[in-house]
Amino acid sequence: MEIYHLDDLSLLQQHLLAQYQLYQVVKNDDKQCSWQQQTKERNEPLIAELPQSSAKDFFFAEHENLLIFNGEYFQETLPTPAPFVLFGILSCDLTAISYQDQFFKDDPYYQARRQQCLLVGLDCIKPCQQGFCPTVDAGPGVREHTADIILHPLENHQWLLISTNDKGTEAIKGLSLKTCHWHFLTQRDLTLHQCEQEFTDDSDITQAIDKLNNGEVSDSFWQQLAVQCLGCSGCTTLCPTCSCYGTRSITDESEDKKVITQQRFWDSCLYEGFQREASFHNPSAEAGKRVQRFWQHKFGNEFFAEFNRHGCVGCGRCEQTCPGVIGVHSVMKRINNNA
Amino acid sequence: MCADLVKTICPFCGVGCGICLKVDEQGQLLSVEPQQNHPISQGKLCDKGWSTAYAINSDQRLTQPLKRINKSFYPISWQEALTTIADELTAIIDESGSQAVGVISSARASNEDNYAAQKFARAVLKTNNIDHCARICHSPTVAGLKQSLGSGAMTNSAKDILETDLMLVFGADPTENHSILGGHIMQAHAQGTELIVVDPRVTRLAKLTPMHLQLKLGSNIALINALLHVIIKEQWFDQRFVESRTQGFEQLAKHVKDITPESVESTTGVSAELIRTTARAYSHAKRAMIFYGMGITQYVSGTNNVISLANLALTCGHIGKAGTGVNPLRGQNNVQGACDMGCLPNVYPGYQAVAELENQEKFSKAWGTKVTQQAGLTSLGMTKAAQSGDFRALLLFGEDPVVTDPDQNHVQSSLKNLDLFVVAELTMTETAKLADIILPAASFAEKDGTFTNCERRVQKVNQAIAPLGEAKGDWQWLQALAKEMGSKLLNWQSSEDVFNEMAALTPPYQAMTYQKITDNSGLQWPCTNETPNGTTILHQQSFPIGRARFICVNQVDIDESTDDNYPLLLTTNRLHFHYGCGSMTRNSPLLERETPPGVLFINPIDAKALNINHQAPVSIKSRRGYVETRAMFSDDVPVGLVSMPYHFKEAPSNQLTNTAQDPVTKMPELKACAVVVAALAKDQVPKTIQQLQEGK
Ligand code: SF4
Ligand code: SF4
Ligand code: SF4
Repeated sequence: MEIYHLDDLSLLQQHLLAQYQLYQVVKNDDKQCSWQQQTKERNEPLIAELPQSSAKDFFFAEHENLLIFNGEYFQETLPTPAPFVLFGILSCDLTAISYQDQFFKDDPYYQARRQQCLLVGLDCIKPCQQGFCPTVDAGPGVREHTADIILHPLENHQWLLISTNDKGTEAIKGLSLKTCHWHFLTQRDLTLHQCEQEFTDDSDITQAIDKLNNGEVSDSFWQQLAVQCLGCSGCTTLCPTCSCYGTRSITDESEDKKVITQQRFWDSCLYEGFQREASFHNPSAEAGKRVQRFWQHKFGNEFFAEFNRHGCVGCGRCEQTCPGVIGVHSVMKRINNNA
Repeated sequence: MCADLVKTICPFCGVGCGICLKVDEQGQLLSVEPQQNHPISQGKLCDKGWSTAYAINSDQRLTQPLKRINKSFYPISWQEALTTIADELTAIIDESGSQAVGVISSARASNEDNYAAQKFARAVLKTNNIDHCARICHSPTVAGLKQSLGSGAMTNSAKDILETDLMLVFGADPTENHSILGGHIMQAHAQGTELIVVDPRVTRLAKLTPMHLQLKLGSNIALINALLHVIIKEQWFDQRFVESRTQGFEQLAKHVKDITPESVESTTGVSAELIRTTARAYSHAKRAMIFYGMGITQYVSGTNNVISLANLALTCGHIGKAGTGVNPLRGQNNVQGACDMGCLPNVYPGYQAVAELENQEKFSKAWGTKVTQQAGLTSLGMTKAAQSGDFRALLLFGEDPVVTDPDQNHVQSSLKNLDLFVVAELTMTETAKLADIILPAASFAEKDGTFTNCERRVQKVNQAIAPLGEAKGDWQWLQALAKEMGSKLLNWQSSEDVFNEMAALTPPYQAMTYQKITDNSGLQWPCTNETPNGTTILHQQSFPIGRARFICVNQVDIDESTDDNYPLLLTTNRLHFHYGCGSMTRNSPLLERETPPGVLFINPIDAKALNINHQAPVSIKSRRGYVETRAMFSDDVPVGLVSMPYHFKEAPSNQLTNTAQDPVTKMPELKACAVVVAALAKDQVPKTIQQLQEGK
């Protein structure tokens, strides 16, 4: 780990722009935040705000062609992106990427993109609206193993730059930086600790996790809760750790040849059809089972054991987007009150 | 990767949620995300909204004009298409007059497209034969509320849901049809707002509240009259409001004097006690909102059903204030706009009556051509006249009446009888298959314009991608067609030009401009020089007709009751995954997977009696038609009632539904008819209607 002092963030941006396509979270006129590509000319200030769509589609594409068969042979469809950097990605989303890295360990499509990416994390020093990352060990400070470079804001528009691995060190080579005293790290810890204190009380969530894992949540509770699930797929689309996908074949027949494309697309475990088999047999035909399954994936001990952490990174996106008012906070509260 | 986020409005229902289209560097539509700060949807979308990209990117999109020769379609150029249509239209008008031609526009198309459509009909074709599909959704709303209140639109706004004390949901299934609004209702309920559901089926909302009045099909008026009886007898009505703002209360009181809750128990199937509790709750609530949907309008008594709901709200003074009102939930994204634009035979834009000389003169002058005085035909009128050969040419866009209209066989044979049938569509629908010429339509993502949502909010739709292939927006091809016919009356450079011309002639839209609409995240009409920021609540000080009117109405039974041959009642419903005839939403592999092609919901008790298993193939027969599909057990329908969604071209419910009509609006009774259901052989695959018709 190397620690530097950075006076001018734009020097770093320009330096990276010379080697990478650079993406950054940008806020539009409607105060909506999204990942946008930056150029030498278009270079917006760095903001610590959670974009509505997480970064997962940089690696796990919303639709992608896996195989194309043109009647004679199979065509390679592995993506070959240019090196790119996600500049200023927040801790919850970084934790989610490291979670997805495990899930897609052997997926060549995911890995082809992932290998090309440099992750520059950004510490949060103020809690966001719906977030609860400290509760699930996903922030507000960037976890070292999740980023190549960490940025921490200091006073007077100064920055602490931490390179956590070789990839990070390689990326900043040639940039004139002042190494700085380790006491800045203590300062960082203090600031992050202070920020953690400012998050709202999370006892609803921690207690509900316990109840969930102690088998205290009844089937009838899930059934009643699931009446409110409209199967919109909003939660699974926005959740940075959701990774369900479906596949379909698309046949394109022209006069002289027939091309079959195998496509995969984001799916949602909350759709009734997700687990249904051709025989109409469906292990989760009941909405209650589907909703339960979703939350079990996020907070169940069995998944904790597999991934060494909760499936939820505390970003709060599902709370904001659920039209049925059963996002994470609502569900956890109800588990605590009624289950 | 996403290069641009274009904010626009979801095209799938009248809620009008804010959506952002993600476009890549090549100008391809990748996917969508919700607009986080949209005044209604606030970062949420339903499953239809989330799958928008599938509908637009579908490989089934039509990309060039097609001409039918015998049974096959051949691609032709736009020029050839326009010349052919123009020549034939001119010839037919010369021979049979302007009454022989007409236009059916679309509640999915933009305000600009709809304005252009009615202007094309009235100014170029010289006919008032202009309509759109609201006829089969909400025309009783316009007719009923117009008589009672003076204006046929939702009186309040979506945001009122979080400001009310009681929500009375009547014959509507908002979580399936208007999901985001349904979500607001669930949210308010979770926060303690009282919820009463009146519906023959156990809807999702009915499952959330102990107050479910599971009335018998078509007994709305009996129920409402009994509610009025209790409220008046117990003196629970709002005396001050009734005296200062309404007329006709005495007659109403007399009319319902003997309609006690006990007297309607057997008609409605609702206990007198529950009627009394409901009357008390609604009248005692400080603020109470009524929502209703097609469970009110799609009956022979549709207009009267709407009127009786207005009676109820007026009696308790629950109107003209925040958190109150009579709020129709209208289906398609721009059904409000299509009506506002005058795509109705009897009104010009802004509901200015065609029959009034003054209005005829206003529009003749504005358009620089003399408009006809002759009354126009409704869409059903046009198909009927086509049957007899009096009506010969129809331009239709963005609709699929063959799947959605009542009595499919009748519609099909009338359309086949036309000399010229032109359809502008996104994909090859069942209706388009009957066309002589098909024009490739641009989708909402490919054009600029405005939609007006169910709460009268005019919102800006922004072009995100280039039109697919040779697809064109409706106002553009209508303009080109007018030119081809030698008329310069449609002459706009941009959709903004169309809007500005329309706004100048449409009083409720008077003070709107594109810029103002964008700056305000939409403007709710009336937006005039007096109310430049729009109007969230109608009728605050007075009604457009001065005092609101109480109108006495009587229970009308459904037209077709059960008998030995047809022992079950069939009603229609919607599934939230699909929209209208399904021609857009069914392109999503995710939504298509959610339901097998066509289903019949049946109570397990009825099913057992008929020896039908869950998912088993069944036949359904009414006096008009026959279809096959699969049975789906559901406790959500009571014994004696079966229910079918109408999105499926394989098993269209309109093979079966009744064509008996509301006498005022000609709205067909889609919500009730008598059928007989029978099990098919166990491993038989249900035949599609296409197979049945071809006798395969
Ligand atoms: S479950 Fe909800 S809060 Fe947790 S990571 Fe997913 S979207 Fe974020
Ligand atoms: S966001 Fe809510 S309604 Fe939508 S699928 Fe998820 S839980 Fe269901
Ligand atoms: S509720 Fe209606 S407008 Fe909103 S996302 Fe769904 S279909 Fe679109």
